This record gives sequence, C-alpha cells and structure tokens, in this order.
Amino acid sequence: MELEKFRYDNKIVKMFAYATILWSLVGMLAGLLAALQLVLPALNFDLPYTSFGRVRPIHTNAIIFAFVGNGIFMGVYYSMQRLLKARMFSDMLSKIHFWGWQLIIVLAALTLVLGYTTGKEYAELEWPIDILITLVWVVFGWNMFGTILRRRERHLYVAIWFYIATFVTVAMLHIVNSIEIPVSLTKSYSWYAGVQDALVQWWYGHNAVAFFLTTPYLGLMYYFLPKAANRPVFSYRLSIIHFWALIFIYIWAGPHHLLYTATPDWAQSLGVVFSIMLLAPSWGGMINGLLTLRGAWDRVRDSVVLKFLVVAVTAYGMATFEGPMLSLKNVNAISHFTDWTIAHVHVGALGWNGFLTFGILYWLIPRLFQTKLYSDKLANMHFWIGTLGIVVYAVPLYWAGFMQSSMWKDFTPEGQLKWQFMDTVTKMMPFYIARAIGGTLYLIGAIVMTYNLIKTVKIGNFLEVEEAEAPALSGEYHSHSKDHWHRWIERKPVQLMVLSLIVVAIGGIIEFVPAFLVKSNIPTISSVKPYTPLELEGRDIYVREGCYVCHSQMIRPFRSETARYGEYSKAGEFVYDHPFQWGSKRTGPDLARIGGKYPDSWHYNHMLDPTSMSPNSIMPPYSWLLDDDLNTSLLRGKIKAMKTLGVPYPEGYEDKAIDDLNKQAEEITTNLKKDGIETASSKEIIALIAYLQRMGKDIKAENKEVANK
Amino acid sequence: MKTKTQKSKMWLLMFVGMPLINFAQEAQVNEPSCFSNTLFNTLLAIIVILVIVIVGMANAVKNVSQSEYFQDKIKKAKAGNSGSAKIGAVALFMFSALMANAQEAPVAVEANDWLIGGLDMFTFYFMLGIILLELFFIFGLYYALKGMLVAAEAEKSAEAALKKVKPVEKTIFDKLNAAVEVEREQEIMLDHDYDGIKELDNDLPPWWKYGFYLTIVVAVFYLIHYHISGTGDLQEAEYNMEVAKAKAEVEAYMKTAASNVDETTVKMLDGASDLESGKQVYQANCAACHGKLGEGGVGPNFADEYWIHGGSIQDIFKTVKYGFADKGMKAWKEDLSPMQIAQVTSFIRTLKGTNPPNGKAPQGDLYKEDGTPAAGDSTTVVTDSLKVVVPVDSLAKASAVVKK
Repeated sequence: MELEKFRYDNKIVKMFAYATILWSLVGMLAGLLAALQLVLPALNFDLPYTSFGRVRPIHTNAIIFAFVGNGIFMGVYYSMQRLLKARMFSDMLSKIHFWGWQLIIVLAALTLVLGYTTGKEYAELEWPIDILITLVWVVFGWNMFGTILRRRERHLYVAIWFYIATFVTVAMLHIVNSIEIPVSLTKSYSWYAGVQDALVQWWYGHNAVAFFLTTPYLGLMYYFLPKAANRPVFSYRLSIIHFWALIFIYIWAGPHHLLYTATPDWAQSLGVVFSIMLLAPSWGGMINGLLTLRGAWDRVRDSVVLKFLVVAVTAYGMATFEGPMLSLKNVNAISHFTDWTIAHVHVGALGWNGFLTFGILYWLIPRLFQTKLYSDKLANMHFWIGTLGIVVYAVPLYWAGFMQSSMWKDFTPEGQLKWQFMDTVTKMMPFYIARAIGGTLYLIGAIVMTYNLIKTVKIGNFLEVEEAEAPALSGEYHSHSKDHWHRWIERKPVQLMVLSLIVVAIGGIIEFVPAFLVKSNIPTISSVKPYTPLELEGRDIYVREGCYVCHSQMIRPFRSETARYGEYSKAGEFVYDHPFQWGSKRTGPDLARIGGKYPDSWHYNHMLDPTSMSPNSIMPPYSWLLDDDLNTSLLRGKIKAMKTLGVPYPEGYEDKAIDDLNKQAEEITTNLKKDGIETASSKEIIALIAYLQRMGKDIKAENKEVANK
Repeated sequence: MKTKTQKSKMWLLMFVGMPLINFAQEAQVNEPSCFSNTLFNTLLAIIVILVIVIVGMANAVKNVSQSEYFQDKIKKAKAGNSGSAKIGAVALFMFSALMANAQEAPVAVEANDWLIGGLDMFTFYFMLGIILLELFFIFGLYYALKGMLVAAEAEKSAEAALKKVKPVEKTIFDKLNAAVEVEREQEIMLDHDYDGIKELDNDLPPWWKYGFYLTIVVAVFYLIHYHISGTGDLQEAEYNMEVAKAKAEVEAYMKTAASNVDETTVKMLDGASDLESGKQVYQANCAACHGKLGEGGVGPNFADEYWIHGGSIQDIFKTVKYGFADKGMKAWKEDLSPMQIAQVTSFIRTLKGTNPPNGKAPQGDLYKEDGTPAAGDSTTVVTDSLKVVVPVDSLAKASAVVKK
C-alpha cells in the first residue's frame, strides 16, 4: 500500500484556541458582574445596557456559545484531522466558520446589550442572527463531512460519533426552537405560545446542555484523555451502548424543567422517567473516562493536564447524578426557581466544561508551539485556585437554594406565610457574596492560565506545517468475521448521521405532536382575551429588559404559592403569550398575578427606585422607562404578526390599535395623577404598568362570572 | 457470544416484568386498587429489587461456573452441563410462577376484616413469603458463589505455591467493574488504532448495567403508577390534599390558640408590647405605601380622621385582612397572623392626630369615635373640598420624586 503525504491544519486550531481563551475571560467577567449586582444593586449603574436583565443573558450566551463553542471547535478541528488521517476538507470553509462564529458572538453581545432579545433563555438572539448561526453551522457540518468523506481511516472513532450527533442535533434544536415571525429586523415573536412554547423552549434548553455542553465535550474527552494519559480506552462496548442510549434518552428529558407547571401531567412524567433512565448512560461516559486512567493514576499526581481532566470528568459525574435527582418531582418542588439550580449548572459549567477546556489547552498549546509549558507551577496554581473557586461558588449556593425554598414554604401554625418574600432575599446576601468570591477565584485562575499560555506561545515556535502520512483507503472493505456488529456503521458516516438524527428526533416528536394537536392538553378559558395594544407594547418592554431572568410567571400548585401569589397558573391562561415568560428563577417574586395587587403609582415609584416601595430590594432601578417615549411605530406590524399567529384580534384591528393604545395610556396617566404623579401618557412606563396590571387578571374575571351565575 | 448473553438477560428481565405489568392492569379493574397502598408498594418494590439481586447473583454463579477453572472441573467430573446456571433458571421459574399466583391473590380474598397496614392478611403474608423465599435464594446463591470461589481460590493458591508463581491479584475495583486487570489487558486489546488511541474490550461494569436496567424498571413502574393504573396522585390531586390537610391543621390549632381573633372579636390593644409589635409590622409592610409616620403616599393618610373603608378597629382589621384589590390594597391574611393584624390595626389607630409632615390629603368619610359617620360628610364632598386646601405639599413631594 502506498503512503499518502498530507499536512494537518494547525492554524485553524490555534485561532479557535485563542478565541476560546479570550471569550472565557469575557464571559466570566460578565458573570462576575452579574453576581456582584445581586449584592450591590448600584453596579447596575442605572443604565439600560448594564442592568442585570441584560447582563445575565450576555454571561450565559458568552459562556455557552463563545467560550464552550470555540472550545468545541478547537478540539474538534485538532482531533478530527488526526482521527481521520486527513486535513480539513477546505481551508476556506474553516476560515468562514471561524470568522462567522466570531461575528455571531460580537453581534450577540451588541444586540443583547441594546435589549434586542426574543426572551427565550439560551436562545435570546434575534432572527437575523439565528439565520447566521444556521448558515455557519452548515459550514461547520459541510467541512466536517467533507473531511470524513476524504478520510484515510476506515472506521470512525467514538469521538467522531459524538461530533456527528452534535452536529445534527444542534441543527435540529436550533431551527425548531427559533421559528419566529419577524416584525422588524430586530423584533420577532416566537411561533409558539404558552405551554407549547415552553415545551419547545425547554426541549431546546435542556438539549443545548446535552448536545452543546455534553456530547461534543464527551467526544473531546474520548480523544484528549487517552492521549494525555497514554492509555487504551477502557471499554469499546461501553462506548457503543452509552453513546446510543445517551443521545436517545437525553432528548426526552426536557419537560423536567417544567415540573409542577401548567404543562400536561403526561409530559412532565415523561420528563421524569427519561431523566431517571439518563443516569446510567451519562455515567457511562464518566466511567469510561475514569477507568481509562487505570494504571496511570500515579501520573495524575505529576501531570497538571490529567488533574484538570480528572476533575472535569468527576464534575460531569456529579452534575449528571444530580440532574436526575433534581428531576424527581418531590426534589424539584424544593429546588426549582431557587439558587440550587444555579449551583447545579455551575458544577457542570465550571467543573466539566471549564476544566476540560483548560486541560486541553495546557496539553495542546505546548504541542502546537513545539515547546514545554512555560510554568507547571502556575498551571498547578490555576488548578488549585480553580477547584477552590468551584467549591466556594457551589456549596453556598446549594445551601442558599435549600434555605430559600424552605422559607418560601414556611407557615405559622395559624396558617400564615412565615416570611415575606423580601425576607428570603435579604437572607441570601451572605451566600451571594460567597458565590462572588468563588467566581473571582475561578476567574483569577483563568487569568493565570492566560498569562502562562501567552508565555508558552512566546517561547515556542508555531508548528504551522505538520506533515503526516497514511495509506489511502482502498475501495473495497473485507470485514473480519469476528468484527463487532457495530463496526459496520462505523464505516458508514452518512448512515451514522441519519440514524443519529432518527434517534434524536423520536423523543421530540412524541412529546410535541400530542401537545400541539390534542386540545385537552391546553383547556381553553373563555375569559382569557388577547392583550390590548398598550399591554402588548408593555410586554415587549418586559421582554426587552429581561424581567424573566429574575421573575417567574408560573404559580405552581403548592399551598405556599397559592397563599403567596394567588390561584395556581392554568395552561389556558398563556395561549396568547408569544413567547411564554414563565422564567426559571425567582430572584424576585412570581408575577403571574401581579395585576391589580398594587396601585399604578406603586409600580411607577417602584420602577424609579425599587427600594422606595420595597425596602431592601435588590432590583435595579429602571428610570429610563420614565423618561423614554414609547415607540409605537411597529404597533401595526406587531398586531398583524399576532393575527398571523392566530391571536383573535378583530378584522382590520391593526389600524385602530393606536387609538386604543392612546386611550388606555390616558386612563393610566389620569390614575397616576390622582396619586400625585404627573407624567406624559407617551412614556414607556405607562405601557409597562398596563401590562403588569393585566397579568393574571383574566382568570379572576372568569371566577366572577361563575360567581354571578 | 457476549451479545447473545446480553440478549438473553434482557429477555429474562421482560419475563419477570410481564406478570407484574399484567398484575397492575388487573389491579386497575379491581377497586380499590392495592397500588394506592403504601405498604403494598413498598413490599412490591422490595420484591422487585430482590429479583434483580437474584438475577445478578445467578448470573455471577453462571459466569464463575463457566470460567475455565470450573469447566475443567466439570469436564473432569464428566458432568457435561453447568448446574449452577440451572439453579438460577429454576429460581427464576419458581419466582415467576409465584408471581402468577400473586395475580389471583387479591381476587380470592375480598371482604376480609383482617387488615395489616391496609392490606388484607393473605396478600400481606403472601408477599412476605415471597420476600423470605427470595432471601432464601439469595443466601443460597451467596453460599454457592462463596463456596465455588473459595474452592477455586484454595486450589489456585495451592497450585501457585507449587509453581512458585505469584498470581495477579485483581483489585477490588477491577472485580467490581468486571474489568480485566491492567497487567493482562493485552488479551482484550482490540485491533483499533486511532491516532495511537487503542481500545480495550472490557465488559460493561455489572453495577452500571444492572443499575441501567433498574432505572428502566423504575421508569415503567412510574408510568404505570401515575398514568395507567391511576393510583398515583397527579399534581392537582396532590394540591387539593395539601390544602385540605393544612386547613384541618390550622383549624385544630386555632381552637386551642389564644391568638384567635377575627373582625368580629377584635379589640383595641393598648399594651406597650402589642403596640411595639404593631409598629414593627407596620414599618415592615405598610410604611412603603402609607408613609413611615402614616402620612400617606401611594396609599391614604392614617393620621387624619377620614377613612375610605371605615375607621373602627373592626373595619381597619377587615381592610388589612381582606384588602381592596381594586384600589390597590393587598389582602394580608396570608402574610400576617390574626394577632399581628390586630396589633398593626391598633398601632394604626394610635396615629390619629399625630399630624406628620407632608400629610396626604384626606380621603373617604369622616369617622367619629362612636362609630357613626358624621352626617353630611359624604366622601366626594370631603375629598373635593379638601383637595383645594391641602394638596400643594403632597403633590410637590410626589412630583419631586418623579422628576429626580
């Protein structure tokens, strides 16, 4: 057999590595700012661009899509070429992929700062960016499959299976969840409403964790861990079973983010049982990783790379054990909406994604630059300070979450709620401070790493042209009779991709189709009416300012919640909510039935200075809402879009909407005047008050109707 | 060959599982279902777990008996088949036969007064019997396994001593994971080589594999329990039960509690400690809207003699307790105890005539101590006429806030 010579493309790997480091620092800084804002509300700077509701999505998007995203591409571009014995299919596609992705990140940061958001967690970016993401993702897939088809290695290694599953699933999730109807270049409404939107969104949100933060990183682990440890992978059979089980089961588990909400019971139960069944397949990856280190544990002591990898895999094991536990309804009743969830995801993000990325960087950069790491001592320091950071971050938040939940549920023997919501907020302060310290430690570690790697790059010599050789694949393959049956599909990348797509599509289809077609899943409530034009504009402000980041709109059927917030939320109440705004965290109280609870003037003063109406509040002030005029230029388009989505506004209403809007604004202005507040009816605050005063009231109207009968 | 054994294990599992599912479906027809009984569910869970343990152990016995050592022994003994595997199969067969019987049990015994933990005696002892039987099997298998391993160990060490070769000791972790030792891994090294990465052909760690099966069994039972047999309470039922239970508890408590006051029995509390408590409640909950000194703000002034919803202690108590949602007054009954409401109401009554700075214009009717509104002092007249006199101050303050 003749050996073919070729060259690995190291330049693209280097570019992604640099981007990974840069965005890790940016993302963590945004996170630290958000953490500090909860302790010192003054750090919101009384500016729209830096208020918590916008900073938090910037943090999550930067960490997930910028830091981890570039980390994925760095690892994939390095390992795939070597596992396939081929250079990347096209240098041009690689470059388009790299610069396209960085452009998306910059656009994302800009638009989120400016308040252009769809209001769906981890999918906040507006439709033009969604399209750009799709295009760049296709470029990535094209480049990947081009390389696979030109490979010189007959069979695909397990890492590549994970890359392929990642590619097809993320494409599916992103496209389905991002279907929205544009009103302008920077404004759109989700195609789905209420319960359906929630199901689609958490199918996406949960599997963004699965197929963006987990499967590609498992692929990276399968390459870099055996490489760094120089040990054979523990069990090929385990790889097969846990791969297929993982991608099949993961998809179903989305509804565990919606336990005890207005989603149908059967969907919740599917979320629960598939989360339970997910435990073993998740742990399959951890076991295969840790047991690969058998016989190399003595080296873990000396190798900082292995240390990072071991902690990463262990953190993965902890997070994926905790996940199914949090999906049990009785545990979820305690943990949901609290900081417990925040602790949980950070064990995954800081431990698994962060440490695996750091481990890979420490292994990769010296190899790309043909030198040794500048300082092992600094790297070790990074390891310890980072580990300490994770502990100091997570432990207080677990405690905080549990405490918060217990206080929410506490009743006096007389049957009154024992704590005002504000009591639970002030009790959180020490824990929030500890969390910010943990985050700071972790960030310091990352800065030390950056310094260490820059020094390494400086002393090294970049290996731009890495020669390799391998025989070309002959046309025909004669399998050995004793081959494992799974070897067949490992030779067939296209079949592997199609089969993965089928496997991951099943769960979603089975959960969505009944939720969309069977009417009994969302019983209609006749008194629930579409929003008035002013309320609709107010709702858009609510979405723009990211209120859902801290406030839920979902009263769960617990005594402690109905006592505090009123009647529990019903599926039929959300049928005109494009997008749904149930939220996932209660830093502030639930708002599902805030309507009518306080006078208009209360809201006015509260937005100007939350502490005036609610002493000790940590909510940022929203003074610009009092100064800025409401932009109604899109109102016509918004009403038309809503009509397209099936919201029953009367024929030709888009032309009359502005009159109704002005009329309602006048009423609210007059109302404010009665309490001594002089303001123009054209201000944004008027629209927001209209929306807040509407929330949760429709069902009260129905109760009155019933009572009158 | 390995895949074949895996398949047969799955099959066994289904074989054991099926009667249980049948059982569940029958239980659905027979009302009231035993699935709603905690004891029954617990016992059933124990039975299922023990079955899994038995399957696991039988499997281990089978594996050991199929090991080279015992195969040699068996050949030597000229007994051509592996007895211990049979034991496992027999155990399973007997067990599923028992389970089949269990299906009929609840039908056979109906109106039985002898209840243990809500279960009729027959079912209870029957299930207990199954558990004992299972424990018996487990002990049997345990001793069989131990005996086989000890015999093998003894012979091996004797051999080893003879040959003076140190045997490779399997670590506890390797045993747990059914892993081939690192020293012998060449034997299971696959011919895969990806950029220098090799792969071993280790078996699936048994605890992982059976754990996975267990989660699947749990999932099936979960869905049956909540959605097929209808024995589990879904969230609406759960909520109604929670509320009913809490209501009963509160009522029981209130019968004995001294602090049980309501709008008909409430009296002015003049004690300093009561008024101090009332003041604290006021500062924490009321001051934001009604002013720190009761001067009013978003809400009305408490220092004047005018009341929108009545100024008697009973009226104020009622207003605090139930609120006037349409006017922006929240109901406080879920947040404050009756005693706290009485205290804060008393405190509010002490504010009258304190004349705090920046007082808001009076709203509502003039209230006189004897409880009857003064004649001619109707709402609209009062507010309108007074608005002309007082408002400058309060409006100036409010707009100062606004224009900050």
